[in-house]
Amino acid sequence: MENNKIKKSDFHPFIRFFVFLVVGIFTILTLYPLFWLALSSLKTTTEFMKNSMGWPLNPTLQNYPAAWERAQFTNLFINSLFFTVISTLAIIFLALMAGFAFAKIQSKATPFLHGSFIMGILLTLQSIMVPLFLAVNLVGLYNTRLGVLIPYVGMGLPIAIYLCTEYIRSIPDSVVDSARIDGASYFRIFLNIIVPMAKPVAVTLAILNVAGTWNEFMLINILVSSDALRTLPVGILKFTGTLVTDYGRMFAALNIGLIPMLIFYLLFRKQITKGVAAGAVKG
Amino acid sequence: MFKRSILFLLSLLLVAGVFVPVISAQENVTITVLNYMDLTAPGTERTLKEVWYAFDEQHPNITVLREDLYLDAFHNKVEAYAAADKLPDVVYMWPGGRSTTLHTKGLVKDLRPLLGDEAQYYHEYATVDQAGGFLALIPSTRTSSHAMFVNVALLDELGLEVPETYEELAAMAPVLQAKGLDTVLMGAQDDWVLQSCLFSMLAGRFVGDEKFDEIKAGQAKFTDPEFMAALEFYAQLYADGVLSPKIMNTGYGEVKSLFAAGHAPFLIDGDWAAGNFVTDESTGEALISPEDQKQIKMMVFPAIPGELHANSSSGTLGVGYGMSANIPDGSAKEAAAWELIKWLSGPVVQGISLETTGTLPSRNDVGFADVEPILEERIFNFYNLIEADTYILDDFFEADVFMPINIGLQEIGLGLATPAEVAEATQEAFDIWFAGQ
Amino acid sequence: MKKTMFWSEKRRAYLLLVFPAVLIYWAVMAFPTIFSFVLSLTDYNGGPIFVRQAFSFVGFTNYLRMFQDKFFWISLKNNVFIMGISVFGQIPLGFLFAYVLHRKLVKFGDFVQTIVYLPSVISTIVIGRLWQLFFSPYGPLVTFMQKFKPGWYFSLANDPQLAIIPVLFVILWMYTGTYLIIFLANLQKIDPALIEAARIDGATEWQVLTKVILPALSGVIVTASILAISGSLKSFDLIYALTAGNPARRTSVLALYMYDYAFKHSPKYGLANAIAVVMVLLSLVLIGVVKITEGKFGGKE
Repeated sequence: MENNKIKKSDFHPFIRFFVFLVVGIFTILTLYPLFWLALSSLKTTTEFMKNSMGWPLNPTLQNYPAAWERAQFTNLFINSLFFTVISTLAIIFLALMAGFAFAKIQSKATPFLHGSFIMGILLTLQSIMVPLFLAVNLVGLYNTRLGVLIPYVGMGLPIAIYLCTEYIRSIPDSVVDSARIDGASYFRIFLNIIVPMAKPVAVTLAILNVAGTWNEFMLINILVSSDALRTLPVGILKFTGTLVTDYGRMFAALNIGLIPMLIFYLLFRKQITKGVAAGAVKG
Repeated sequence: MFKRSILFLLSLLLVAGVFVPVISAQENVTITVLNYMDLTAPGTERTLKEVWYAFDEQHPNITVLREDLYLDAFHNKVEAYAAADKLPDVVYMWPGGRSTTLHTKGLVKDLRPLLGDEAQYYHEYATVDQAGGFLALIPSTRTSSHAMFVNVALLDELGLEVPETYEELAAMAPVLQAKGLDTVLMGAQDDWVLQSCLFSMLAGRFVGDEKFDEIKAGQAKFTDPEFMAALEFYAQLYADGVLSPKIMNTGYGEVKSLFAAGHAPFLIDGDWAAGNFVTDESTGEALISPEDQKQIKMMVFPAIPGELHANSSSGTLGVGYGMSANIPDGSAKEAAAWELIKWLSGPVVQGISLETTGTLPSRNDVGFADVEPILEERIFNFYNLIEADTYILDDFFEADVFMPINIGLQEIGLGLATPAEVAEATQEAFDIWFAGQ
Repeated sequence: MKKTMFWSEKRRAYLLLVFPAVLIYWAVMAFPTIFSFVLSLTDYNGGPIFVRQAFSFVGFTNYLRMFQDKFFWISLKNNVFIMGISVFGQIPLGFLFAYVLHRKLVKFGDFVQTIVYLPSVISTIVIGRLWQLFFSPYGPLVTFMQKFKPGWYFSLANDPQLAIIPVLFVILWMYTGTYLIIFLANLQKIDPALIEAARIDGATEWQVLTKVILPALSGVIVTASILAISGSLKSFDLIYALTAGNPARRTSVLALYMYDYAFKHSPKYGLANAIAVVMVLLSLVLIGVVKITEGKFGGKE
């Protein structure tokens, strides 16, 4: 890993220039809008209208408590955290289990079952929203935490299972076979060999699911009616409707939605490297 | 141990069984409400406190479980509830197009028997049967989907006068353009805006309600000269520089502040937009300060050569609350739900709505305090300017017909289609719809 | 005797491992999927569905109507563009970034990684609203440009043929980070000794890239393509917040086109579900194509 660094002369100057250009453009394109977003949240609505681009003349933080209070963000925040963490963990674990079975235990059921998950990757949420509402109502889970979690997990599983199966397939069969010869049960193999080796794919899944669930705003509106069960995006959406006249609070709300993900990422980034590194040693 | 817990559970059930009838004897009723609310609108805090919390206080025996949604989230939820036949007890609804399912599928009750003598306090238009052939809601106001806001101060600054004819308006366009300003702002990125806030009014001026009745009955066509004239005049607005294709990239929410910031002297919107400019009591901020509001005039589109009605505007009934048809007649729940609806369409709430957004009450017994200048303009001047009310197309026709109009209007503005093509496409869509009736 | 025992433990393990996922997935997806297909053959238009005469079957009328609608084709075309930018934009760019970071070709690698990845964790509502304001005729972009060129105006967003370009740009910006992470994770799985050996044999950096790294990643590239294709056919949230499909529906996509019929004004679930069914079929075909391409060109890891 230490010797990854290569001599600069190795790359044609044009390629190097191109790489720098692309990296530079991306950096500006990401930083500038986010910077603008942050600055705008420090302006009152009146100031934003007169001075939408410049530095805030009278920077104020008042928009944050105002937005926070009006949308009851504390509660939404806790719910977001709950749904995101639980559903992501459940998806990763269930997908690893099923992926292991699909990849390493031969069965005639695999093509059908695995195929049914692949179909799920292709379904659009909007087409199943109403039937899902009917189904959740029929089993009496409407407006409950479980009634949100189960659909979240169910909808996250297809892509997770696809990725896990592909990943576990790439682990040499000999790893499983030799453990079998040593007399290990499939469950022991799963827990002691596959799970530790699956860190990279688990990290990928976590990335996909955390962002997805944290930002999900359509299904939650359909599946619950009580504010006590709603999540952060619902609160943000309330400030970004088409009749917005309150720019100060809208920008504050947008930032409130953004900051946790930023923190999550900055905290999680180390884990990504670690998870991936662990996978690299064994793979 | 096991036995004991079973016994305990049984006795708990027994106790519950004994107490439940006692509770209902005291008429403690819980009602669910699906409400439509813009959290960012000025006056939200006051509405919550004086409308909803006040009702809770006055009716300790009624528990109101309110679900506040807004825009698409609201409409999606209504359709989901409707499909499951689990409509909340009280639901916010529109008198026409936007609540089609509720009206036509018999999901809400006829409120007329409950209304009884109370009807005498309402203006006649409020108690007319709606889309489903019965009184599904009591509209709390009448609105004009077209209003032209004028920044008089900006015109003065440029040495311009408030236009009385279209020629005068068109003549301003080059002058304003030279100053780097637009003439008319519209938040037309959402495609209903052009049709609802501008074109319905134009159609009223050129086509008229009688002709639209004939079109709907299949006796006349969208391709007839009258409708064509309306579309051609609309296309002319772009040619004259009165409208710019930029409006199609301007968000509906964004446009009020652009007008307030003086990007153009005119804004075409619905009359309800007046409510967006007033002071928000919780922050003390306003898009246009009360002092500056005095320089804002509300008018209807100026006189157009060849128009049928002068100073007409497209108008419709306002919103109200309906009651789920699943509530048994004569039940305590019905009484509680009616109590809430009566309150929500009553004089106190209409007064609050007038004071916060300047809506014209549908009752004749509404008292109110002083309002900010722009609301005064809306209530006392604007409504007097309107000489005739004409149909709003998305209210009068069904989605199958008005959707092609919505899109066609954007296409004309972008130079993608000619008025004749849009008229033909609309007629085609109408024919398909008509055949299905 | 021993053999059957072995087999039954295997079978039991398989069932137990697969069961929870299948149960939840089928519970959530199976009913809605079947329901969706059945509805696509009906004229159901809202209201209580479990009552008599809620709808009647109309065969493939909805499908016919859809294929005759020009906005179906406009939406489909936009989906194809999005797919293009995803497969031929996000994936190569994501790979480029991953490669650059992995081989430490730029300084501040961590910073670059954060910057590229950041957009993909932000709520699509925030992103959509942000760029909508940014591209607005009165927004920062226009104000900025007008400082250099008075009267400049962002005409791209109003040209019906080109209006999709700003949308594509935001999509590229938003999702490249996801692929960066996927590629980075998998690059690190490649044994450094392999590269080292190639280098010692005198291979240039370019040869290492094309002869060692790309073949080793072919499986990942296929996975990424499948993610990109299914993601782009389903794309909804961002466009919904960014343009809502306008002007004049010229930036609409299939999911939005379907949503308009299912939820706007009087619902037409039959038509909406016909669109959904076609979307699934389309993705199946495309994923089939990817798999076949992989079979032809790529050796697996």
